[in-house]
Amino acid sequence: MRSAEEDRRLVHLDRDRPLVDAARRDPARFDALYRKYLAQVYSYAYYELGNHADAEDATARTFLLALGALDRFEERARPADGDGASTFRVWLFRIARNAVANVRRTRRRHPEAPLEAAAVVADPLDIDGGVAGRDEAGTAWAAVGRLPDERRRALVLRFVEEMSTAEIAGVLGRSEGAVRVLIHRALRAVARDLGPRR
Amino acid sequence: MTLLDRVEPATDALRTDRYLEALIRSGERGASTAPSDPELDPGLRLAAERLAGSLVRVHPSFRFEEHLAARLAEAAPKLRLPVASGGEAGDRSRLRATDPIGLGPLDPADLADPAGAPAAFRLVGHSLLIGGALTSAAISLTGAAIVAWRRNHARALAAPAPTAPASGSEEARPI
Repeated sequence: MRSAEEDRRLVHLDRDRPLVDAARRDPARFDALYRKYLAQVYSYAYYELGNHADAEDATARTFLLALGALDRFEERARPADGDGASTFRVWLFRIARNAVANVRRTRRRHPEAPLEAAAVVADPLDIDGGVAGRDEAGTAWAAVGRLPDERRRALVLRFVEEMSTAEIAGVLGRSEGAVRVLIHRALRAVARDLGPRR
Repeated sequence: MTLLDRVEPATDALRTDRYLEALIRSGERGASTAPSDPELDPGLRLAAERLAGSLVRVHPSFRFEEHLAARLAEAAPKLRLPVASGGEAGDRSRLRATDPIGLGPLDPADLADPAGAPAAFRLVGHSLLIGGALTSAAISLTGAAIVAWRRNHARALAAPAPTAPASGSEEARPI
């Protein structure tokens, strides 16, 4: 007989469970998951590939594959992942990671132009601080762009996608401890690169 | 390397992790000031604050969003297939054969698990019913992988000298 503690440990916490269940019953309802995660997946692909055309390609592949493979997704949220953890998001980003690698292999392009991307995303309402903001973003993006792949990826997942260490560990296939060290070293490299100026 | 050398990076990494968590949460709450941690290296703290302000989410165009939504909506009814005789689920194998999601030839690597992935996040293969015979997704994917490898292998034999790997390749790098 299981103890109450064991029962608590077995409780699934995936915040996307209702949406995933609905999409499994009726694939047309996958649209809710698509709308929820589109910008996240697209951002990830864009930071990885550096241009909109490739990011769109990788994003399309990710969602079409996820729709086709939804019956293969297995929810495994753990209490250690925290309230509101989503293993669906981790699963989706693992598909995105493979899709990005596939697009990169196909196109044989290098990650491009973090500076160009910074100009696109600078706050359009910030008229006075526009140029300074773009400079600031461009410098930061360039520093991140110079990092080795896994360090860059970990920082993007942490800062852009606001994933927990446990989620990043799931996406990258590493332990949480390794992810913490990866991010710490990445941040240290960026700090050295950016220098003391602000 | 001493024990202290091994423990210290892990301790520093944990402190950095806690600071980043607080920084991200303060951003979510719309706090005007960043959290402080006097024990954290000021350079790291400044870099984290700059990245938090600069690494923003990028949205795709509305046109792309709606176009992809339409493709997904078009593919969805084809995924709602009748249960095959003796099967527990729809005959998804036919989906792969006829490519209803319009991706063209699928690369098995798109759904593959990187080596060493934590078991909790592994993609789980389910049994499929193909033409009345029980097989598995793993078998069909393996078959596709072999065909892809053979095609690539044939191309590689016919191709000139190999080129250097791209800098953005997925090769493992030290952390």
